Amino acid sequence: MKDFIDKFSGKAIAAIERFPHQEIAKALNILQAAYERNGRIFAFGNGGSYGLASHWTSDFNKTVFSHHLDTDHKRFQAFRIPPSTEELTAWANDVGYEMVFVGPLQTHLSDADAVLAISSSGNSANVIKAVEYAKSRKVPVIGLSGFDGGKLNQLADAKICIETPKGEYEVVEGVHDIVLHLMTKYFKNYFDELVARKAKSGK
Amino acid sequence: MIIARAPMRINFIGGGTDLPEFYTQAPGRVLSAAIDKYVYIVLNRTPLVPKVSARYSISETVDNLKDLKHTRIKAALQDLGIHSGIEIASFAPLPAKTGLGSSSSFSVALMKALHAYQGKKLDPHEAAQAAFRLESELVGDLVGKQDPYAAALGGLNVMHFHPDHTVQVDPVYLDYRKRLGLEDHLMLFFTGIPVAAGSTKKVPFTSENIKSLTESTKAVDTFKDKLVRGDFKGLGQMLHDWWAKKRQHVPTANGPALDQYYQAGKDNGAWGGKLLGPGPSGSMMFLVPPEHKAQVRAAVQKVAARNGLKEFKEIPIKFVQSGAEIIFNGDNYEGSLQL
Repeated sequence: MKDFIDKFSGKAIAAIERFPHQEIAKALNILQAAYERNGRIFAFGNGGSYGLASHWTSDFNKTVFSHHLDTDHKRFQAFRIPPSTEELTAWANDVGYEMVFVGPLQTHLSDADAVLAISSSGNSANVIKAVEYAKSRKVPVIGLSGFDGGKLNQLADAKICIETPKGEYEVVEGVHDIVLHLMTKYFKNYFDELVARKAKSGK
Repeated sequence: MIIARAPMRINFIGGGTDLPEFYTQAPGRVLSAAIDKYVYIVLNRTPLVPKVSARYSISETVDNLKDLKHTRIKAALQDLGIHSGIEIASFAPLPAKTGLGSSSSFSVALMKALHAYQGKKLDPHEAAQAAFRLESELVGDLVGKQDPYAAALGGLNVMHFHPDHTVQVDPVYLDYRKRLGLEDHLMLFFTGIPVAAGSTKKVPFTSENIKSLTESTKAVDTFKDKLVRGDFKGLGQMLHDWWAKKRQHVPTANGPALDQYYQAGKDNGAWGGKLLGPGPSGSMMFLVPPEHKAQVRAAVQKVAARNGLKEFKEIPIKFVQSGAEIIFNGDNYEGSLQL
């Protein structure tokens, strides 16, 4: 048992040690810019990545501001797409599975927005289709990928690739979650600081 | 209707090396940061009013594009083949000639908006190139490249200007603590000094100022390192050294009021500072320990009063990540489906 646990945690630690710092910094700047122009952030991915997108958007909309939910200031607007199971199955069944993300994106995306795409292989066809659409609209893309990064890592503006041997989904998805929590925590601390400063200045 | 905006910027070091006259001889390099002062451009399609309207400090409406007085709007419309049925208005939170690059912010937002009007999206580099082309080729102004890039990309960047006219932009990643720290230590004042007639005349590059500009490009890395470390005192001292050196070369270059402003800042606790803009108009920027800010403010205000500079004002700023962007696009172009 110990061997298995050591081996697994060793892989996770090694992946975290290869954190792409600069690309994560770039992603934080993309999120900040979207906030400044009142843009929205659309997050998506398949399977576990769909779960990550849902978890992250709820954290980003609420947890970032959790220490001062009573104050009425501008907040992040993050959305997981498609917004409902109904819409997901409708696109998949009626049009095709490759449309499940780009379909809703075509409905919602405006020029001031940003996109956060998650795919461990970096090659999920429906994710790439949506990212290509966002790129054609010149909307900034944060890409969370794994293994060798795949096509997503080539297309994304912030190329957050968790490099692992091919197929190590567990490690990639786990570290993706850490990166997403890092983003939430960064802005949570940032807003705490801004609110503290405002209180101090008495304005 | 389409609304676009682009931020103004503070140039910290390397200004002048972004001019083609310089970077075709030696590599140019600049460190600048976008600030929360935006130039907004609003476009409106008027198919039933076959005129061109431009609203800025004045309002003009013409039947023929060739009669439009605003040179940049006219040149941009001619280049894009838009001859009629459009209203263009600009809005800015500051007067002109503050040395914050607003003229290029205008060009970048204009080009971004006009392309969107034609159904084309420009990424930040394309927007910068389009604006630089508008200013330098289509209008023929003597301009550098840093302002269109700063306005189009946003954020804090080191920009490299290569002899083959390509531009490389390396973002400087400052976390929010450092960024807020920089804001805490920075003061900015519009001098209120009027622009002297003929002051935009082209100044030829001498070997002396090429040498001094080359030195400034070499100091960009040192400046960046200090910035990333949060060594605001070190940054202020670097600026002071530049100021002193410049003054030594050309003692009267900055004019008496500017020297008084600078001295007032320095005597009251500022580590150093610089003039933003070509001078004598523009803004004075100081790096100041926060506890000395009130003192510096009072002293600089006195200089303005003594010199009768009524337009003088302090400009509070924040650094921003956003660049040129379409913040609203509700354009009803021909062929779009209307309910």
